[in-house]
Amino acid sequence: MRIIKSDRRAITAAVSVLKKGGLIIYPTETLYGAGVDATNPSAVKKLSEYKSRPLGKPYSIAVSDKKMAQNYVFLNPTAENLYKKFLPGPLTVISKGKQKVAQGVESESGTLGIRIPDYKLVLDIVGVLGKPITATSANASYKKRPYSVSDVVNNISSRQKALIDLVIDAGTLPRRDPSSVVDTTLDEPVVLRQGAAEIFKKVGVLSRSEEDTMNVAKEIWQKYETHNGSRAIIFALQGEMGAGKTIFTKGLARAMGINELVTSPTFALENEYTGGNTTLHHFDAWRIENPQELLALGLKDLVADRRVVVIEWAERVSDVIHDFDAEAVVIWVNIKYGQAEKERHVDWGVNK
Amino acid sequence: MTILSIDTSCDETAAALTDNTTVLSNIVWSQAADHAKFGGVMPSLAKRMHEERIYWVIEKALLSAGKKVGDINAVAVTTGPGLSIALGVGVEKAKEMAKKANVPLIPINHVEAHLLSPLSQPKPKNRNNKSKTVSKFPAFGLVVSGGNTIFVLLNGVGSYKVLAETQDDALGEALDKAARMLGLGYPGGAIFEKMAAKGNLNAFSLPVPLLGQENRQIFSYSGLKTSFYRLIESQKAKDPNFPSKTDTYNLAATFQNAAFTHIERVVSHIIKTKESSAGDFYLGGGVAANVELRKRLRAICRKHGLTFRVPYIKRLCGDNAAMVGVCAFLNPKFIDPEKIDRDPNVKLL
Repeated sequence: MRIIKSDRRAITAAVSVLKKGGLIIYPTETLYGAGVDATNPSAVKKLSEYKSRPLGKPYSIAVSDKKMAQNYVFLNPTAENLYKKFLPGPLTVISKGKQKVAQGVESESGTLGIRIPDYKLVLDIVGVLGKPITATSANASYKKRPYSVSDVVNNISSRQKALIDLVIDAGTLPRRDPSSVVDTTLDEPVVLRQGAAEIFKKVGVLSRSEEDTMNVAKEIWQKYETHNGSRAIIFALQGEMGAGKTIFTKGLARAMGINELVTSPTFALENEYTGGNTTLHHFDAWRIENPQELLALGLKDLVADRRVVVIEWAERVSDVIHDFDAEAVVIWVNIKYGQAEKERHVDWGVNK
Repeated sequence: MTILSIDTSCDETAAALTDNTTVLSNIVWSQAADHAKFGGVMPSLAKRMHEERIYWVIEKALLSAGKKVGDINAVAVTTGPGLSIALGVGVEKAKEMAKKANVPLIPINHVEAHLLSPLSQPKPKNRNNKSKTVSKFPAFGLVVSGGNTIFVLLNGVGSYKVLAETQDDALGEALDKAARMLGLGYPGGAIFEKMAAKGNLNAFSLPVPLLGQENRQIFSYSGLKTSFYRLIESQKAKDPNFPSKTDTYNLAATFQNAAFTHIERVVSHIIKTKESSAGDFYLGGGVAANVELRKRLRAICRKHGLTFRVPYIKRLCGDNAAMVGVCAFLNPKFIDPEKIDRDPNVKLL
């Protein structure tokens, strides 16, 4: 693993590594990314090993401009529109792929996410290489968002470190959210990740699987984890029976570094999970009739202790939760059934 | 060994007297009726009710067993898992009783107590030929209740290996929630069983959870809840009067069938793949009282040459204290009473 400064010479160094099928860690306008030549199958395999990602989860790619994008995807009017309005910038646009990238980059349904970063160094690297590179965050799945090189290297194993060929160090990046992700292959454009670019006024995403719902929980956690320790964080979950509130909590626990099995606390009313150096308190208000009863379970002390709390069926106890608006960061998450069996709409908002 | 046992892990205030594995008395005061007014549980009310009733329940347990405090050799109490503030009431009372009788205090895991509950016996005069006394280890054990769904290999008393457990809802909880979706109130498990018995299995269809994925060795009910919700909504969209009484029976039957088939498939898969000399199959927990579930599991046991054991009366299935006393006799852990505390999230090890 070689670490170099982010200057003109970095372009040549990066291109030569990428040409040989190597893996680079590079800065963008959002997070540090992990890049390999997206058309090189063995390089993509190496990346998957580095990310310790399950197979079947696709990668977005970074291109230098719209013309290059059109070599890899079909752009429909919705996509054209988004390109014009937002790119280059922190937005990933998903279109139908042309199967010109290595296997595993496009999704199983043949779609491909395109990103044109608003970051000259990356555009130059991709331009000189003449091929797209993968645009995935440099952290392993469910690990801390990487805003500095130490965020990357301190959170990976030595085996993962050995897979990195080159790191371009641009210091600590300003703390911005990852790119927003919009799927344009459906009848209506759908936001799959609400990140730095505000596409629609409302904050909400479409989940197509339990894994997606867990992923949304991770994204929300990573956005607000800076408050962890300084203020209590309350996730107030709302949604019908079977919508995926416990699944959401599983994703949250995983993002917090907790490996304990997360199950529904309906019967015992409260579960507690520990891992790393955090504890997650998991409440279920389904059986609670009088909202004040939540206080009998010790919520006040948990907030005073600045804990992380998740409450299922929060609408049943909303008055009590609002009492903590000043003291805690309260994130209201709403999970609604979508059209297809596995689809859910997840939206959220935070008390200010 | 005469043991006074106490369990206040959730909604039931319970005390019992046991002599070795023989149940002398088993008093359970359920709060379900009080909570039913509200349609849910009220933790502070639960705590207060436990406090108000624990004395009476213990007195009654002693009285109906014909014992005095001086006859007790040990006190046993559930320390977890359960509702924290409710557990606290039982633990404090148990400490007080142990001190008063000057006997050891034995902390008990509620899930282990359910697991060993089939080993409980009635008083000798009530025993019949069917009362089996000799247990054959290793044995399989399944605990299905409102808070737990866990399948275990017992290599002996105190030596357990978890073979499968729920990833989300417990079986009893899933049945309660399905009952609530049908507007049957809380807790709906018992009435749900009655309705399911009248229903037609072919009127609707629901997917069996994790069908074909039995080798993952997990239980899960979240997907079934989703399918049930979708089924009810789609029928409502077609017919504003849905569900009729018959529909409700049919829905209950369909849900229960899918939920039980899932248990059967996972359990069968594990029994088949486990190269084991297991002789017995224990079933415990509140849902163990369900006749249909017993019937299905008994059939599996017959097929695999296992002896099927359930508690000799239904009262030993739901939360109760006699199972805690029996567990304390079979697997006593003598610990300094000062160090005994509630442990709401404890796991079965």
